[in-house]
Order: sequence, then structure tokens, then C-alpha cells
Amino acid sequence: MVPASIPYYPVNEFGPLMKGLVIGGVGILHVFLAQFAIGGGLLLYYFERMAQRGVPHARTFVDGYFKILVLVSFVTGALTGVAMWFTTIQVGARTIGLMVDEFHWVWATEWVWFAVEIVTGYAFYRFAPRLDDRTRRRLLLIYAAAAWMSLFWINGILSWQLTPGRWLDGAGMWAGFFNASFWPSLLFRTAVAATLGALVACVVINTMDLDRDAKAALIRRASRFAAPMAIMPVLALWFFAAIPADSRQWLMGGSMPMTMFVGVAAGASTLIGGYVIVGLIVKRLYINGATATLLLVLAFGATAAGEFVREGARKPYTVRGVLYSTSITPAEVARLRVDGAVTSDPYPLRDEASYPTAQLRHGAKVHRALCDACHTLHGANALVELTRTWTDDQLRLNVSKLQRTKAFMPPFAGNAADVEALIQLLRWETADRPASWPVSDAPGTLAQITTWLDEVGTAATGAAR
Amino acid sequence: MWPFTGGAPSLWLALYLLTFALHAVFVSYVLAGAGYALIQSLRKVEDPIAERVRDRLPFMLGCGITAGVAPLLFIQLLYQRRFYTANLLMGPRWGAVVPALIVGFYALYLAKAKTSMRVRRLALAIGTVCFLFVAWSWTELDQLMTAEPAWRAMYAAGQRVYGDAAIYPRLLLWLGAMLSLFAIVASWWCSGNERRRLAILGLAGRGISVAAAFLLVGAGGALHGNAHGWLDLLIVALVVEAAGWIWMLRAPDGRALSLVTGAGAAAVICATVVREAPRLALLEPARPGASEASGFPLFALTLIVGAATIVWVWRVISRP
Repeated sequence: MVPASIPYYPVNEFGPLMKGLVIGGVGILHVFLAQFAIGGGLLLYYFERMAQRGVPHARTFVDGYFKILVLVSFVTGALTGVAMWFTTIQVGARTIGLMVDEFHWVWATEWVWFAVEIVTGYAFYRFAPRLDDRTRRRLLLIYAAAAWMSLFWINGILSWQLTPGRWLDGAGMWAGFFNASFWPSLLFRTAVAATLGALVACVVINTMDLDRDAKAALIRRASRFAAPMAIMPVLALWFFAAIPADSRQWLMGGSMPMTMFVGVAAGASTLIGGYVIVGLIVKRLYINGATATLLLVLAFGATAAGEFVREGARKPYTVRGVLYSTSITPAEVARLRVDGAVTSDPYPLRDEASYPTAQLRHGAKVHRALCDACHTLHGANALVELTRTWTDDQLRLNVSKLQRTKAFMPPFAGNAADVEALIQLLRWETADRPASWPVSDAPGTLAQITTWLDEVGTAATGAAR
Repeated sequence: MWPFTGGAPSLWLALYLLTFALHAVFVSYVLAGAGYALIQSLRKVEDPIAERVRDRLPFMLGCGITAGVAPLLFIQLLYQRRFYTANLLMGPRWGAVVPALIVGFYALYLAKAKTSMRVRRLALAIGTVCFLFVAWSWTELDQLMTAEPAWRAMYAAGQRVYGDAAIYPRLLLWLGAMLSLFAIVASWWCSGNERRRLAILGLAGRGISVAAAFLLVGAGGALHGNAHGWLDLLIVALVVEAAGWIWMLRAPDGRALSLVTGAGAAAVICATVVREAPRLALLEPARPGASEASGFPLFALTLIVGAATIVWVWRVISRP
């Protein structure tokens, strides 16, 4: 499944931004736009049918909405998808490599659907006014189906990262694809897509040159499309039941930031769902453009929080049971405990001359190899601030027994000298990088760290599933 | 047949080369077309070719980006370590191709819209610059992938630009080829004197490429590795294409366009193989997880269904 030797890649830092924020920023925007494209496609098919049954202004709405879909989704939506690939390479090249290796035919299949979506979309965009009703309907149906199929295939790959299930036992790609969180995740995202399509529709309808009654009639029909929101709580519970027990515990109070994001996603979704289902569908209220936009912004917030939860729930892995967030496999941890974390790393430091001792240079390389994926030194999730008040021995103990310090951290993949070099780097950084710094290599200290490393072992705290 | 010598890597390579060739056709239309429309707008010439090009540029870019996703996938199977390393070495400067494409894409929509000539020129200029940046970046990345001895020093120095002497002649070679490909595609929507003008552009593009090839060799770059006869096929295709252009100059509405198109298609496929030849020696051994991955029948079936759907869409919109 995973190549036997560790591939070493050059590591980039993003200043005060931790890498999770970089990929999160790109990913959330892409997911939001992609789900809008899917929901928008389905909604347009529904409205086209309405138009052909004689619902006033539905045809005007379809043509206007489709222009927005093309301008937003076909450009920024499609290109942020490409950006996701490039950003994932920057953040975790080995992870995306493993995903491509395992699922490249699925990805290629998704590409075909993407191509169908683009061609059909442009065909409708350009030629719809001169097409007969049947052809318009067919084109929109193909467009919507192709967009949803993209979601179907990508969803399998993403949910595999969290719940690879029987794939871990060698049951093959399809066992990994149709994993435990596949269906709840797919249905949840479909409901989100329908909601986003409906909310954008409410914004668009408000920009149309129609009287209020005509707009209200269109809004009532559009808002029906967000009705699947009603089953989102059930789907969310299904998802929670399907994910590994330790991930579930972090989301349900074990990790306060994660729990808060669950709360934000749930709260924002409840507000949107309440407004749409009670206000728009049951009470048949009118919604103006400003309120619809506000709901859409709220939906963006819910998407952002939801994606953060999904990504965070995987920790300490990027592929559960296979690859840690450090891009190291569980089996490799034991080897690196003997050989050292950076012995085989061919890349030098970029600022080597700024470190006064070889031990600090060593520490900087250990930080780059084992910490940099999720932490910075002084910016977001800064190690210097997280450890500032700890004593030296407390720091040594906590780093040595990392998977016990925090269950969502991977085991430390290095030896005693690596731990001590990292500790000295953190202390030196905490002291504002003085020009000279003593070397810490007392045999007693290294022996104590070795004892702690041996005690804690190389296995992660949680189960692989 | 070389370089397709069997097994999963050959299939990846074949799909990589074919989809890259398809991608090259679309992006050639976009880059050369945007440049052409820009020049014509600066010259203040009423040009039906430029009008049609402006109208089609966003669609062609959409197709180009879509077609480009497939080679991006297969290159990760063929040269994973090299591709990722080059990505990481170029870092944010490489990532800038995405915002450049977004800006360029919207600029093309603006150029297509009914705006003032000044705005149109500005939009076309922005688009052309953005696409040139992307072309330059790709050329750099492509070359950096093969330059393993330079990786360590480049990383240590924090450089984001590879800057090898062969980069610019290679880019020029591709820009020339893009002009010819643009002329071929654009000719299908033209007739008479318009085709004659495009034939001149097509020949000029090939001339630029030939000159760039000499510059490339002069700069120490290799035109090809051991391409096993593909270079000979490329030369034959280019000669036939040139003959076709000359025929089109004399009889623009005859069958010359079919000849040029066939020869041009053969040339772009041969060129992608010749371009790949030096890198094929660096092909990474297939990782077991990748070569044993299932799902090909699904892809093959979807490809047939998808292609049939696209053909159906094309037929539907082509009806009068």
C-alpha cells in the first residue's frame, strides 16, 4: 500500500500560517463553490421543468442563474479544485501521493464526469435560447447528474481518509471507497448542496426585474429545494456513529476547539434550517436579497466549520491507520526511533547560518520534519507559546510521550538526541534566539529521554479504526 | 511499441501523452488567440477572426483547464517524486499559476463582453500576460523535475525561479507551436482570405519553433532523448503540415485544411512523445499500490459513456 522507503521532500513554511490554515482556506472555498455548482445544477433542472409547465418567469430565472453558475463555478470553482491539488502537495505530498496511487482510476472517472459537466454547461450557457424544451431539459439533467457524480467519486476518496475500514486488511480499493462514512457523508453533502443552490437562488431572484408577488412565487419554489436540510441532523448523527471512537470523543468534548467548531456548524445550520423550513416553506414568508445573502454567508461559515471538523477528526493521521500527519507510517516510527528523524533528510536548512550550534540546526531539522505539518514556531499553533511555561524536563517528557500528551498527536518519530535537539531549539526560540547557546548532551538526560521513549512505545494511542 | 512497453505505467503514459496533447490544443488557442486578438485591437483593425476568437476564448480556456486535469493526474503516477519536489521547490511562485488563471479567465469574459475598446484591450493584455506566466511556469516546472542535482542548492538558497538557460528557448519553441495550433483550429471557422492570413500565421509559428530549436541546442538544451523514430515522424508531419499551409494559401477553401489538421494532430502527438523522451529515462518504478489499483474498467466504461454524451451534446447544438 505504502512505499517501503520514506520519500523526503523539501519543506516550505508559510510564515505565521500553519499549513492547516493554508489548505483549509483553499479547501473551504472550493468545497463551498463545488457544492453550490451541484445544488445549482439540480435546482435549475427543477426550475426548467417548472418553466415548461408554465410557471411564470421560471425560464428567465433559469437563464439568469445559469450565467452566474458559469461565471462563479466554472472559473473559480474549477480552478480552486486545481489549487487543492497544488496546495495538498505543499502540505502533505506523501498523503496526496498515496491517494493518487490508490484511487487514480476513480479520479480519472471523476475527471470524465467533470468534462461532461463543463461541456454540457457551456452548451446550455451558449445555445439554450435556441434549443427546444426537451433538449434543454436533457442538457440540464446531464449537467446536474455529472456535477453530482463528481461529488460521488471524490466523496469516496475523502471519506476513505477517515474510515478506510476493510481496506486496511487488504480488502481492496472498493472496500476503501465504500467505507463506513461514505453514505452519510455523501447524503449530507448532497443536502448541503441543495441548500446552497436554494439560497443563491433567493439572492438571484431578488436581483430580477419582477414585482414582489412574482419574486415571492419564485422564492417559494426555490426554498422547497432546501427542504433536505430537515434530515441533516440525522445524517450528522449517522456520520458521528460511523467515525472512529476517539475521533468522535474529540468532537464531543474531548478537544474544545473541535467541539466549538461542531457547535458553530450545528448552530449555523440550525439557524439556516429554521429560517428556511419554518419561515420560507411553512409560513411562506418573503426573503429579501440582504437576508438571503446573510444566510448564504452563514452557510459559508457552517461549511468552513464542518470542513474543519472533518479534517480535524482524522488526527493524528492523514490516512487513518496508515499515514500520520507527519507523513510517516506507523511502521517507520520504530525505525526512526533507532536511526534518527533526520538522518536521511537530504535537504539543508535555508537559514543554517542563523543557528549558533549544530544541535540547534539539528533541532530545526527535527522541527521541520516532525512538527511543521501542524505547528509554527511563533505564528499559528505556535510551539514556543504552547510550551513557554513548561519546565525543561516536562517538555522532554511531553515530547517523548507525545501520543500520551495529546491523543491526537502522533508518536515521536525520532531518538533521544532528536528530542533533546528539539527541546533546545524551542528554548532558544523562547529566549529570542541569543547569539550563543550551550550544548545539552548530558548522558543522564539522554538516558532519561530514551527511557521515556521506550516506555511509551511507537504505537498511536487510538485504534487504527 | 516504444515508449509503451506494457503494464500499468504504459497505460498511464499513453493517457498522459494523449490528454496532454488535447490540453495543448486548447491552451494554444487561448494563449495565441488572446495575443492575436490583443494585437488586432491595438492595431484598431476590424477583424472578424479576432471577433470570433474573443467570443470563443472563455469556452476554450474552460476546455483547456478541464483537459489539463488529466495529465496532472497521470504525471503524479509517472514521476511522483520529481513532480512533487519541483512543486515544492517552486513553492508559492508555482502556486501563483492558479490566481493567474482565475484573473486571466475573468479577463477573457470581460474582453468578450460589450465593453469599450479600451477596457477590451486592457482585458486582453491582462489575459495574455497571465497565460504567458502560466506557460513560463509550466516550462520551468517541467525542466526542474529533471534537474535533480540542482534541487538541494535551490532549496538551500530559497530560490523560486529555476532559470536554466534552456527554459526560454524551450518556451519560445512551444509558443511557436501554439501559434500554429491556434491557426489550425481557428481556420475551421474561417474561409477565403481569412484562411490565407491564418496560413501565414501557421507557417510563422513553425518558423519560430524551428528557430527556437536552434537556440535551445545553442543553450545546451536537448531537443529529444532517444525518441526511437518519433522525431522522424514529427519532422514528416511538420513538412506535410507546411505543404498543407502553402496549399491553403493558394486554395483556401479546398481540402488543404483537412490535410493541415491531420498533419498538425500527428505533429502534436509526436511532439509530446519527443518532449517526453529525455524524461522517460527517469521514469520511476511503479509503486505496487499504484500498479495494482483497481478501477480501470470503471474508468474505461465512464470514458465511453462520457465521450458519447459529449458527441451527443455537440450534435444537438450543431443542429441548425
